[in-house]
Amino acid sequence: MRGKLKLVFMLLFASTFVFILSACGKDSAGETDEDGNWKGKITIWDGPRWAQEGDTSGEEGKGNQYFWLEGKIEAFEKSHPGVEIELIKVPWAELPDKLGVNIAGQSWPDIAPVDISGSAVSIDHIDQGVIEPLDDFFTEDELKDFYENALDAYTYDGKLYGIPNSLTVHSMLLNLDLFKEAGVEPPANGEWTWDEFLDTAKKLTFDRDGDGKIDVYGFSTYILPGYYEAWPFFYMNGGQPLSDDLTEFTFDSPEAIESIQALADLKLVEEAAPVSMGGADVGGTFQAWANEEQRTVAMEPWATWAITSTQSSYPTNFMVANYPTGSTGEPVTIGGVGGWTMFHQESDAKKEVVAEFMKFISSTDEQYLMSKEYGIFPARISAAEKEPFADNPEMARAQEMSSQVVMLPRHPEWKKIDEIIQRELQLVFNGEKTAEEAMATAKPEVEALLQK
Amino acid sequence: MEISGAFKNAGKNLKRTGKQIRKNYAAYLFLLPKLILFTLFIAIPVVWAFVLSFQEYRITESNIFAGLDNYKQVLESEAFREALLNTTIYTVVTVPFNVITALIAASLIHSLGRFAQNFFRAAFYLPTVTSMVIIAMVWRWMYNYEFGLFNYVIGWFGMEPINWLGQTNSALMAIIIMQMLIPFGVGIILYLASMSSISESLYEAATIDGANAFQKWVRITIPMLTPSTVYLTLLSTIGSFQVFTQIILMTGGGPGYATETLVHLIYKTGFRDFEFGLAAAQSVVLFLIILVISVFQYRVLNRRN
Repeated sequence: MRGKLKLVFMLLFASTFVFILSACGKDSAGETDEDGNWKGKITIWDGPRWAQEGDTSGEEGKGNQYFWLEGKIEAFEKSHPGVEIELIKVPWAELPDKLGVNIAGQSWPDIAPVDISGSAVSIDHIDQGVIEPLDDFFTEDELKDFYENALDAYTYDGKLYGIPNSLTVHSMLLNLDLFKEAGVEPPANGEWTWDEFLDTAKKLTFDRDGDGKIDVYGFSTYILPGYYEAWPFFYMNGGQPLSDDLTEFTFDSPEAIESIQALADLKLVEEAAPVSMGGADVGGTFQAWANEEQRTVAMEPWATWAITSTQSSYPTNFMVANYPTGSTGEPVTIGGVGGWTMFHQESDAKKEVVAEFMKFISSTDEQYLMSKEYGIFPARISAAEKEPFADNPEMARAQEMSSQVVMLPRHPEWKKIDEIIQRELQLVFNGEKTAEEAMATAKPEVEALLQK
Repeated sequence: MEISGAFKNAGKNLKRTGKQIRKNYAAYLFLLPKLILFTLFIAIPVVWAFVLSFQEYRITESNIFAGLDNYKQVLESEAFREALLNTTIYTVVTVPFNVITALIAASLIHSLGRFAQNFFRAAFYLPTVTSMVIIAMVWRWMYNYEFGLFNYVIGWFGMEPINWLGQTNSALMAIIIMQMLIPFGVGIILYLASMSSISESLYEAATIDGANAFQKWVRITIPMLTPSTVYLTLLSTIGSFQVFTQIILMTGGGPGYATETLVHLIYKTGFRDFEFGLAAAQSVVLFLIILVISVFQYRVLNRRN
């Protein structure tokens, strides 16, 4: 009896071990059949995009926001017997952190919707072989269909490390109802100089009910590492954070200092922005502009997502405008490029199938559909030529700003450099330091990283 | 001679342990699943983190041995020093306050009737089971400059509104105040349980000797609760040194580095910069700091006992 009991326990624990070990294992290489077709499993991560019209399923009533990719997976699996594609649904906000953890544990997906700018995947990862180059899967003609800056964003050391599928820009969003209430004319064609912008912001700051307290402010934004809504202002006089050859910190130049201080003084001196401007509250800043119950700020700069989000969730009478121009006379904005990246593959046969699927979901038609439904600008010229925003003037206006885009410096230590600068900028916007003092503090720290 | 004796003793001990395991094998088998999970998810990662702290982490290649470089970087880092200072201030203020208020609250609740006791027990424990994410979001709203509750209240007294989370001189204080005003539910429950086990005869004897309620509290209740106080102080200190959720959600460590804390810094080093070797070294240093403080607290508080 005692022997049997012992045997039962031993079997129980052996099976527990086998279960744990099998759960830790990874069946990712697949196999190739006699005809040379690869069979196996591909894992793709994606965030919620858009739901079919009228679909209000789900806890929040937002519908199935993965139906587009699920449909593409089904079609691909049908045309590729033996290939199984697993979709892992990850909220956008959690994606960089989760991917970071998975990369650290070498359990990355085969495909993920990330860029290589550093939020989830960085140049360091490319150097370490985590990301696969895709040059072999594209002909020169195919690449000609992509905007050059879109390809540039995924190119490192002469190789292409992803398929761009979207471009985004930051633009100024203006609440026209508040303009009307204050009796202020919005800028013609959305173009203005800094002086005109400053004058407008001051006029849009008003006490609605005469109780002596300001109810509406002209402008607001926030300062936080990894976010760049305020940065086009800092470029307006020709300033930039690093020199072109990435060897020098240049945000301490007179052009940069002047523009940083000018934006801070909009709050500190002109009082045309709320005290919370320059804080770290992203959601609160957006709500102050978009939420019908608040709308305490007339103008805020946001990335492209805010235009579609406003149109769908916060119906507002608004327009899209350029960032104001400074002494250079040229409007500037910060842009981003989204797309699909392929993670390290052991099998060449699998790599080919993964690349084929990535191209399948990045075709002209798919980019056109995504632009129209999801509110991003296509990275393919052929998709843009189909005019996805013919019936959406705000998005069409923002798309025009693509030509004003400057990209952030591509330096392996950018995330640390960005944090040093943004932390100092926070102190400028809360009035504890002048722009000159703050950038002087940042300079040696940044340059130490540049010389690494 | 001495060494061979020590070996003999060790052999005897091993034999005895082996005998005991054989005798109680069923109990050990029942403990085995927990032991396996503990080994897989606690012991191995802790040992691995220690090993990693001497390496430069590479993702697709073998890690490179870095000697004490990571530790040198930790000790020379201005950000680490600021984070350590902020975390220490946070701990020094919140731990004594939370433990003392838990003791006072438990003492007041203990004297109530059964129904009232149950009600307050549940009420004070509620924040413990509420997600810190929710609590932090509510507090961020309460600290809002334009329409937050705190500025609304201080406005009644004619005071100027405060940019609670936006200024370096108030941001850490705001996080500390938040932690102080969240009831220390675990502490109250534990003190209440310990108070129930104090013998009534001690209070009766004190009453006969003419002690009033306050004297009985100071002379009997507090000394008798020392083991609970030691435990709660250690628990609370360890928790305070690991403050993270409220930081990442309310301030992101800013403005500047005013609310940067050790665990937030470790998180950034690991999962933003992917410098896992350095993050592991920071973790080991944090572990040593907590260990030293805990041993010191244990010895000092127990000596009084």
